[in-house]
Amino acid sequence: MSETNLFRAAMLGTGLALALMGGAMAGEYNLTVDPVEIDTGEFSRSGIGFNGASPGPVLRFREGEEVTINVTNNLDQDTSVHWHGLILPYQQDGVPKISYPGIAPGETFTYRFPITQSGTYWFHSHSGFQEPDGAYGAIVIEPKDREPFRYDREYVVQLADAHPHSGDRIMRNLKMMPDYYNRRQRTLLDFFDDAGEKGVSAALRDRGEWGDMRMMPTDVEDLQGFTPLINGKGPEQNWTGLFKPGERVRLRFINSSAMTYFDIRIPGLKLTVVQADGSNVQPVPVDEFRIAVAETYDVIVQPVENRPYTIFGESMGRTAYARGTLAPQAGMAAAVPSLRKPPLLTMGDMAGHGGMDHGSMDHAAMGHGSAPQGEVDHAAMGHGSAPKKETDHAAMGHGSAPKGEVDHAAMGHGSAPKREIDHAAMGHGSAPKGEVDHAAMGHGPAPSGKMDHAAMGHGMMASGSPEPSDPFYAPGSGLRPAAANGGKFLSYADLKAQKPLYEHRAATREIELELTGNMERYIWSINGVKYADAEPIRLTYGERVRFKFVNTTMMTHPMHLHGMWSILDNGSGKWNPVKHVISVAPATTVYMETEVDAPGQWAFHCHLSYHADSGMFRKVVVEGGPDTASAASGMKSGG
Amino acid sequence: MSTQTRLRACALAFAIASVPSLALAAGDHTHGHGKGPDIGQPGEAADVSRTIGITMRDNLYEPESLKVREGETVRFTIINRGEFVHEFNIGTATMHAAHQEEMMGMMESGVLEPDRINHAKMDHGGHGMKHDDPNSVLLEPGQSGEIIWRFPDHATLEFACNVPGHYQSGMVGRIHLSH
Repeated sequence: MSETNLFRAAMLGTGLALALMGGAMAGEYNLTVDPVEIDTGEFSRSGIGFNGASPGPVLRFREGEEVTINVTNNLDQDTSVHWHGLILPYQQDGVPKISYPGIAPGETFTYRFPITQSGTYWFHSHSGFQEPDGAYGAIVIEPKDREPFRYDREYVVQLADAHPHSGDRIMRNLKMMPDYYNRRQRTLLDFFDDAGEKGVSAALRDRGEWGDMRMMPTDVEDLQGFTPLINGKGPEQNWTGLFKPGERVRLRFINSSAMTYFDIRIPGLKLTVVQADGSNVQPVPVDEFRIAVAETYDVIVQPVENRPYTIFGESMGRTAYARGTLAPQAGMAAAVPSLRKPPLLTMGDMAGHGGMDHGSMDHAAMGHGSAPQGEVDHAAMGHGSAPKKETDHAAMGHGSAPKGEVDHAAMGHGSAPKREIDHAAMGHGSAPKGEVDHAAMGHGPAPSGKMDHAAMGHGMMASGSPEPSDPFYAPGSGLRPAAANGGKFLSYADLKAQKPLYEHRAATREIELELTGNMERYIWSINGVKYADAEPIRLTYGERVRFKFVNTTMMTHPMHLHGMWSILDNGSGKWNPVKHVISVAPATTVYMETEVDAPGQWAFHCHLSYHADSGMFRKVVVEGGPDTASAASGMKSGG
Repeated sequence: MSTQTRLRACALAFAIASVPSLALAAGDHTHGHGKGPDIGQPGEAADVSRTIGITMRDNLYEPESLKVREGETVRFTIINRGEFVHEFNIGTATMHAAHQEEMMGMMESGVLEPDRINHAKMDHGGHGMKHDDPNSVLLEPGQSGEIIWRFPDHATLEFACNVPGHYQSGMVGRIHLSH
């Protein structure tokens, strides 16, 4: 048990009452949703929190407990609380308009549900942009049985990307100018550099392609200018967890960011990953791992030296870092690494566009995918270096704007007023589903033209090569991470369930979900249809559905299904891990399966706050099965 | 150490270890790890003063630590009641760290799978794939094994499972040597 977390819970959880009664465990908890001040050390702003602070308290439950949680809304607007990753009756899930109406100002809503699982989770408002504005907290559930690992102390390490602007303002700005918060746009000077390196025509072609995508190589983070927080503390405020040398310390990493993925490492320490999204995995020692928005990873570290260690979390786009410290005494600090070179998206990450946008152009044949990872030399990618590729770009069906003119603004990188080109009409987002032949589109930039993650994963892992490729990134992707110390970087392919929750069986049907977007107008959607215009996804109780995510955008989307587990197909068969967030990188296809065992209606969405709000969201309706009354009291087995 | 004891240990372990090195039985105490510290040596059945049962589960030992006397010869009977492969290995922390590298290699080359040992591959593997050191047994779920070990007078020893990630998860215990 962590002293600091207890302290945090005690300090922040002033309204928190825990009543354990005899017999069946039952706890009663009180949460208030409050206007709060947030001080990141870099800026202060008003925001939203729980029990008077952001982040809110760490709620500690026990597996098998019946919890009663009274949530009082002290705001002047509606609110809600969603228990992220918890398996519970849908009326308790806390999503306005799907689970319940929400909580009006001044009202108290009482949640009641049994705790049927254990591990690290979190909670947050599911109303508007209250979560990016600070309305999040952690959940730790003690298991009934002994865990398959041991530790001497533990800490919650909850990450967030606090922004000086309110969520509403950010959304307005993104809608008005999607690159409003992209400070890393390539400039005219970059163009001259490119031209110097690659020759003017190659540089122009390159620019032309990116312009057609309405994307830029720097589009890794569409929201920049935030301050990463660890447990509410900015890098300078240096959240610190104490240890005694030699102790095993369990760190419960939770990414409660609105938009930001982090690459986490603790220089000098091996991180043994023992849990992902609350479920135990076969332990994997790594040097670094990437945490998608809304995921959790529990790692065990064993600092043996009597010195401080820096917890370092670089944002995926390398525009900012979270920083905390593990130390034998308060007030100590270790060296803080500098940010690594920012990744740039490559044509490999763009492969999802092939065929849709570019008509006859065969990206795979052009060899885009074969570029060495992380390198951004488009010329070397076969784009323009070979004279035989001196095809007229415009003739390739790219679009409308005559290429070859040095109108920088028209190339679509700048903050210039957006052009009249209707991106949707270019086939990006609105391609009617069904007409799109994915295989033919070459989502697979891979030489085979087809990307089967499950199949790829295994061959590569088994090869035992020192740096096997990661099947969860497109070949040639600029996003694929590498450990700072040259060691092991966790891949989704490494996650194997410690104790599979469900029997392994074939799926009863497949549902394809194309992740689509129009960066130009900041519309994000599924199958080209945004939430407001979409029919719910209807599932039948008892079936096992295989979801096929096809990411045709150039951004990474953390997909979150409420109420039921997402079984990631990473090729581990019976050991495929259960998760609640499945991150899908650009130009990749990822499969997950769901045992449809929870009646009612549920939310299913990209967990990037501004993507979810702009339409990458669906309602899922589970038809049939036990009636909801008995479902509420009986719950599912298996926990 | 008698060859008979050795064979018995092998039989109990379903012959996961291939033919043990006779050089070790002849009294070479380095156990294939080079010139390491004195961790003791394989013991004689006749010298056994007591038997300690070790149960391996996912991912832990029962008991969690051991007390033995300096110079004592102990028979360990080890059973794997978990659902994954586990090891019982007597050594120093440094030796375990080195062995973890070897076992990572076994995992990557497919010799070791989470719940089984690929004997065919093991027999054809190079150095480090044999897993035949006398200070350890590597057991599949449900299997049993035995080690007779004579402890040295002075040493800082741990018993540990070096299957990737298990040691770091806490599947390691101190061996307290007393006078």
